[in-house]
Amino acid sequence: MTGAAVDAADAPPLLAVESVDVTLGRGWRANQVLSDVDLDVWSGEIVGLVGETGSGKTTLARTVVGLVNPRRGRVVFEGQPISTLRRRARRAQRRRGDLQLVFQDPLRSLDPDMTVAEIVAEGLRVRGETNRGEIRRRVTGALDKVGLDATVLERTPGQISGGQRQRASIARALAVEPRLLICDEPVSALDASTRNYVLRLLDELRTSLGLAIVIISHDLSSLAGIADRIVVLYRGRIIEDGPVDRVFATPRHPYTALLMASAPSVRHDRPFSPHELRRTGWDPVPPTGPGACVFAARCPFAAEACAAQPPLTAVGERWSVACHRHDEWAALAQSRNRQKG
Amino acid sequence: MAIDNRNPLPDLVGAARYEGGADDVLCLDDLHVSVHNGAATAVRGVSLRVRPGEIVGLVGESGSGKTLTCRAVLGVLPPGCAVERGTVSFGGVDVTSLSRRNWERLHGSHMGAVFQDPASYLNPVLTVGSQLTEVLRVKLGLGRRAAHRHALELFEAVGLHQPERVFHQIPPELSGGMLQRVMIAIAISCDPQLLVADEPTTALDVTIQAEVLELLRDLRDQRGLAVLFVSHDLAVITQLCDRIVVFYAGEIVESGPAGEITERPRHPYTQALLRVASVGDFRRRELEVIAGQPPRVGEDITGCRFAARCPVAIPECGAGPVRSVQVGDQHQVRCVHAAKTVVT
Repeated sequence: MTGAAVDAADAPPLLAVESVDVTLGRGWRANQVLSDVDLDVWSGEIVGLVGETGSGKTTLARTVVGLVNPRRGRVVFEGQPISTLRRRARRAQRRRGDLQLVFQDPLRSLDPDMTVAEIVAEGLRVRGETNRGEIRRRVTGALDKVGLDATVLERTPGQISGGQRQRASIARALAVEPRLLICDEPVSALDASTRNYVLRLLDELRTSLGLAIVIISHDLSSLAGIADRIVVLYRGRIIEDGPVDRVFATPRHPYTALLMASAPSVRHDRPFSPHELRRTGWDPVPPTGPGACVFAARCPFAAEACAAQPPLTAVGERWSVACHRHDEWAALAQSRNRQKG
Repeated sequence: MAIDNRNPLPDLVGAARYEGGADDVLCLDDLHVSVHNGAATAVRGVSLRVRPGEIVGLVGESGSGKTLTCRAVLGVLPPGCAVERGTVSFGGVDVTSLSRRNWERLHGSHMGAVFQDPASYLNPVLTVGSQLTEVLRVKLGLGRRAAHRHALELFEAVGLHQPERVFHQIPPELSGGMLQRVMIAIAISCDPQLLVADEPTTALDVTIQAEVLELLRDLRDQRGLAVLFVSHDLAVITQLCDRIVVFYAGEIVESGPAGEITERPRHPYTQALLRVASVGDFRRRELEVIAGQPPRVGEDITGCRFAARCPVAIPECGAGPVRSVQVGDQHQVRCVHAAKTVVT
């Protein structure tokens, strides 16, 4: 069900991240967090951004909303480059609230002394909305969209459950009617049932409001139900980007395959088990060095070619992979298992 | 390994012996834990046993009482909480009324524990090596050299590469996965009979989580370690455990061998948990939700505590307490419907 996204494939993307490099820290402490990241998001599309701790997922989200400036490249929203805006223009752009970030861990990102009503209304006030009746109407409207009733209005974040809190922070983002919603680990702290509820809610919002949504997660399985496209980040580089059903059916990057094999499941039928995709002492020493493929050190299939970082290359329609051996490793993995077995 | 024979339980002065379940590492019988200084009962009549070399998984939503049960086993209930009734028998000794002195002889030496956030259990300014050797020197009475050697062996056993290097590092220099391995090394350092693991992988990346789960399984295979594993994620539990115990609102609603629970769940709550759990085929599907909210902690409900959310609830469910019935080999269910099929 990639409906809206496919129809709009010819249209320019709502958000375009173009060859972005991000460096955090200065001088000897400088640390390149994102390297050459390209990402397009169309309206009505849900993109799942996956990667492990420290892979740069959150930094990418912060770069998109303008909390971090790229050292190279730019962020384009609705055809307008926003990462290069000067102060006044940037402030005006932010106040419109077209891009909204739903932060990780709502208990810490929501002000503990404010009531839910105040939290949800804050964005509207920043935008300059002063009519109290209008604010009230929009706040209840936003809460209604996420399935919260008026009883939570006067409570503080500490007084509601984790699932309600996550919904409140989504309502806060929705109140200003954004075009793009970026959710940073929206479900990682929730029970399975509540997790599915929040994911279903995001899926409904995408359809009813035509929102573009980027969901950041360290766990592929939480994206399986709703994402249209999967983008895998490893050490600041996008290593695979493709339609969710194709990527999950035949991952073309060994790291994507490892992520899938490692995801906990109540069933036991996998093409690979995680240890089959990990390096062992018998594997040849991988190439290292500054230019080497970011995954080479963990990759059991690394060869000489991997001494150079592979570029993202198309392997199918709207599907690209950064791996020199993307069409060889699966067969290699099978023969490797036979040798061991 | 330095220690081959399991160190026998010490003679615990003044501790009550518990008859029955002496073959089990751990045996809980009708455990009740009260919270808020006795104002409410959060764990209601939990009975379960863990045999040597067995991995038992406790699963349930947050607030279902699985962590309190675990803490009661370790004798480290949070302030305001107390064992109200029932026994926790560890190797035949009732530990619910153990003196602090006796606990000190059990902790570390006979029971190990790992928790969700390893960084907060380690001293951030001491090397992890010194924190492990301290345990070895105090609990096992090893000398400096022997402790150092044994520590390196342990680091290697838990899959830390370059143990000598890790030995001299402090917690902030290590990743979450490495810290959890250090915690496991400390927990198993004195070759305990039981390892209590409360959400040990929840904060880790999935690839690291898979590695830690494999490590726990290996430790069980190599050392015959019994593990009491707690998680809110049924998928993680099924990957690891031999037996699964499903908690709902302070009660065990179903328990049985892992295959039995995932293939033939009998309780509507277990069935619902399986529907909402990750399936791992990553195919697009309708995301299922368990309707309603669990009861508040300690809420008094006549009859089945799940009835309000149960799709197959009948008037009988609310009539009176629902007893747990045997529906298969080691498979128990607390459900009116299951009870009927057993009786007729």
